[in-house]
Amino acid sequence: MGCQTVKYELVAGFETHIELATKTKIFCGCTTQFGGEPNTHCCPVCIGLPGTLPKLNRQAVRYAIMAGLATHGEIAEESKMDRKNYCYPDLSKAYQISQLYAPLCIGGYVELSNGRKIRLHHIHIEEDAGKLIHQHGDTYVDYNRGGVPLIEIVSEPDIRSIDEAREYVEKLQQVMRYIGISDCKMQEGSMRCDVNISVRPVGSEKLGTRTEIKNMNSINNIAKAMEYEFERQVDLLENGEKVTQETLRYDDATNTTSPMRSKEDAHDYRYFRDPDLVTINISREEVEEIRESLPELPADKCKRYIDELGLPEKDAQLLTKYRKISEYFDEACKGVKSAKTVANFIIGQMFSRTETEADKEIFDVAVTPAQLNELVKLIDSGKIRNNLAKSTLEKMLDTGKGALDFISESDMGGLDENTMAELCKQAVESNPKAVEDYKNGKEKAIKALVGNVMKNSRGKADAVAAEAKIKELIG
Amino acid sequence: MGTISKIHEMLTTKQCSCTELTKSYLEEIEKANKELNAYVNVTGDEALNTAKAVDKKIAEGKEIGLLEGVPMTLKDNLSTKNIETTCCSKILTGYKPIYDATVWEILKSQNAVMLGKTNMDEFAMGSSCETSYFGGAMNPFDTSRVSGGSSGGVASAVGGNIAAYGLGSDTGGSIRQPASFCGIVGLKPTYGSVSRYGLVAYASSLDQIGPITKSVEDASIVFDAIAQYDEKDSTSKGNVGGETYSKLNNDIKGMKIGIAKEYLDGVRDDVKEAVLNAAEVYKSMGAEIVYFDLPELKFALPVYYIIACAEASSNLGRYDGIRYGYKTEHYNGTHDMICRTRSEGFGDEVKRRILLGTYVLSAGYYDAYYKKAQNLRGTIVKAFNNAFEKCDVILAPTVPMTAFEKGHAVSDPVETYLTDICTVPVNIAGLPGISIPCGFNANGMPIGMQLIGQSFKESVILNAAYKYQQAAGENFKDTKWGVKL
Amino acid sequence: MVTREDVENIALLSKLFVPEEELDSLTQSMQEIIDFADTINNAPVSGETFDNINNLSNVFREDEVKQSYSSEEILKNAPEQAENHFLVRNRE
Repeated sequence: MGCQTVKYELVAGFETHIELATKTKIFCGCTTQFGGEPNTHCCPVCIGLPGTLPKLNRQAVRYAIMAGLATHGEIAEESKMDRKNYCYPDLSKAYQISQLYAPLCIGGYVELSNGRKIRLHHIHIEEDAGKLIHQHGDTYVDYNRGGVPLIEIVSEPDIRSIDEAREYVEKLQQVMRYIGISDCKMQEGSMRCDVNISVRPVGSEKLGTRTEIKNMNSINNIAKAMEYEFERQVDLLENGEKVTQETLRYDDATNTTSPMRSKEDAHDYRYFRDPDLVTINISREEVEEIRESLPELPADKCKRYIDELGLPEKDAQLLTKYRKISEYFDEACKGVKSAKTVANFIIGQMFSRTETEADKEIFDVAVTPAQLNELVKLIDSGKIRNNLAKSTLEKMLDTGKGALDFISESDMGGLDENTMAELCKQAVESNPKAVEDYKNGKEKAIKALVGNVMKNSRGKADAVAAEAKIKELIG
Repeated sequence: MGTISKIHEMLTTKQCSCTELTKSYLEEIEKANKELNAYVNVTGDEALNTAKAVDKKIAEGKEIGLLEGVPMTLKDNLSTKNIETTCCSKILTGYKPIYDATVWEILKSQNAVMLGKTNMDEFAMGSSCETSYFGGAMNPFDTSRVSGGSSGGVASAVGGNIAAYGLGSDTGGSIRQPASFCGIVGLKPTYGSVSRYGLVAYASSLDQIGPITKSVEDASIVFDAIAQYDEKDSTSKGNVGGETYSKLNNDIKGMKIGIAKEYLDGVRDDVKEAVLNAAEVYKSMGAEIVYFDLPELKFALPVYYIIACAEASSNLGRYDGIRYGYKTEHYNGTHDMICRTRSEGFGDEVKRRILLGTYVLSAGYYDAYYKKAQNLRGTIVKAFNNAFEKCDVILAPTVPMTAFEKGHAVSDPVETYLTDICTVPVNIAGLPGISIPCGFNANGMPIGMQLIGQSFKESVILNAAYKYQQAAGENFKDTKWGVKL
Repeated sequence: MVTREDVENIALLSKLFVPEEELDSLTQSMQEIIDFADTINNAPVSGETFDNINNLSNVFREDEVKQSYSSEEILKNAPEQAENHFLVRNRE
């Protein structure tokens, strides 16, 4: 999906809310655990009882700084908390403590695979609201989630296609999970996106009037909503009408967007400095200390796999998508001759056992990186062939046992040339049909002959060498 | 005079039991409150339970603290667990907090005997106590006159001898002004010295809890008890200046007492005279009187109203009928319910300040009002810093007038705001200020004077106040009400 | 200049109803207060800034879980509740 008609181009920016993985809420000691009976993760502070005061969670600030550094932003030396005033039942104080005038992180970018950098305006910290359930016109309020720390990552309107939008969200998700500050589960609401979208004639530099689609909670919905909204705006312009600046909600059942706010939700947030909280000063030493503590980021890892390990880009991307896998790979690669062999085992055999993305993210496989490392080193030293390694790995994955539990001494050491020649000769002699087929141009027939050699050598033969020898024999 | 030390002495020398004492206070409340309307909620059972515990301790020969067993009261904007806390607003009727304000936690742990919660202007917005949903508290010197505000109930109770002392809150003068009107002592501590946790917020950057007492010594005792660092309040610093009680009665020879002429502008003659007489008293004690200008003060009042109302508009957004307090009966949808609840639950003055606060923060006006006011706040802070290079303490009237007749305050909001002119600068600059009685006018109404000190120098102003009382007398008159000790 | 529309707008933001018959007098009274507030704009512009009273910074709490309150306590003061939730019942 390009979302670029001949005449119009899509322009989008994202406001991405990410719940931080702190143990406690941003301003009180209540747990941030997902779920729980309604209103059981609450205290006087997070339900906004009169007279209560907030106290900022140090870890929330640290996590936000990590997010800023991981997206190449600047950490403000002086940062402040503001109140965003709006009265809604899910907001226990009728204001959300957030940051407007002096956010924690400024600038930064997310680089896409096409080389484009999506610039970030800033990242700020704020508190989440509670949950409303509407039933038969009644409104039920649960404040368990009220006060859970969030970062809001505000991008510039740099996104030009739905593919870019997808990748932007995936990249953010990936990097935030890497640095361990959030699980970024869109289905549980720990990552939500507001999408600002406008269209403009191709070639124009001027931004069109934008609409904002609120609270998107899956990448597929983001794509569908953007596509719908792009077409809707283009239609309006084509018919000589104007786009109204408004906030929209997306309905995935009908795949349409519709205006969200009525007059009663007049929005003028009257931001001002929260007098209950003090200034946040982050020293340059602290920034460097946090920078040092960050793990190698996926983009850097991916580049290293390609440049230093010689992996194909596709492999490098697959291996760096989740932190667990890349760490597994790094560990299994230690001291091996061919990183590609390790990559092949992981991407080929292990991925077929971790089919879903969720499984890949957890990457819970029976074989430890050290066991895989041992197996690959057996190949490196010429003690076993690839084929034997492959079948051994399957057994290892089934049982969690090490390679040496399945490979005997006699399996190691490969085949000497005479035995190989003898086995090849036997294969040719006992399979005249296959030889005939091959001679008649059926290239594939040779595979049957090689298979025969492999079988009789109990996997110890080198398939490539066997094929060459057979071809030589057949002439 | 039923001061803390007097009561402490009576208890430790077994002149009376704590239970007897508490009972007599409760009986006098029963009689006096009909006219004073100082208490909005009397907590007799709880008071007697604590009294019993204190008596037991005394009977066991255990030592008791200075505040132990002393009957006192809390302004109704201090959160008290399981005891209704209304801020004297309809919107909080029936609200029984599930936690204690830090100051109450401290005093409770010292076995303070709380007689009940006292009257105040609704959400502390007012200067006469008349915006209270329960009707105003009256002046014990003349019940046709107001007690002052917003901590009018505490002042009325302490002045009327139906509490030995009380805690109030001071956002723009709400401790000092009623103390002045009722002829007693009120201390507004430095911002940050007393935890605000559990004080129902009016204007968070200005609010501060402090004692209203019969004597300077009592103010010092209570301040020392409640001025503690509190991890629950991010703006808490605790008693940085150190305890004050042991520093009372230090010699003030050579102390520089500053008088800024702006503080005397528009002040009634009787008040001005009393304050200038006090200056003479200080001079006679060897203090030096320094005169200077503080022109920045003329902006203090509008700056105060802009900042206070802005913060209030935000702080009071939470009263929506969902989690606690009053909720309207009939409505059509959530938005309608919230608007009706708020419109029915808040009084006119509170609504006026919410609207003003919303206005000065709204798009297009923020820069001209709120931002400018914050900028001027910085200017006023600096002006005080400069002034304190010339003097140690600033002497000023507490209020430009004495207690006025009831009904006088409500007619013109702007004129009423002017009664706060001498008290708000201290809140803007976060400084400590104390009001002590310095005489009576021709009608027999008390006049208060104010001593303002540098941040966390409570001991300096308490000492100066104490020395004044030693030299000039306490200017204290027992009213006809309450417990005679 | 405070207009009726201004007052209507800020009343909406403040979630307060102003009865039609009070709108004019309230506008008038708001105008007076705003005129009073406007006196600050006669003050000379100074470079002073104000952050917080005692210039405090970096006051944090550690990320340690504290026992939450029971939902009974949390809901104790709720005018209406159901199934452990605060409730705004539809009265239409």
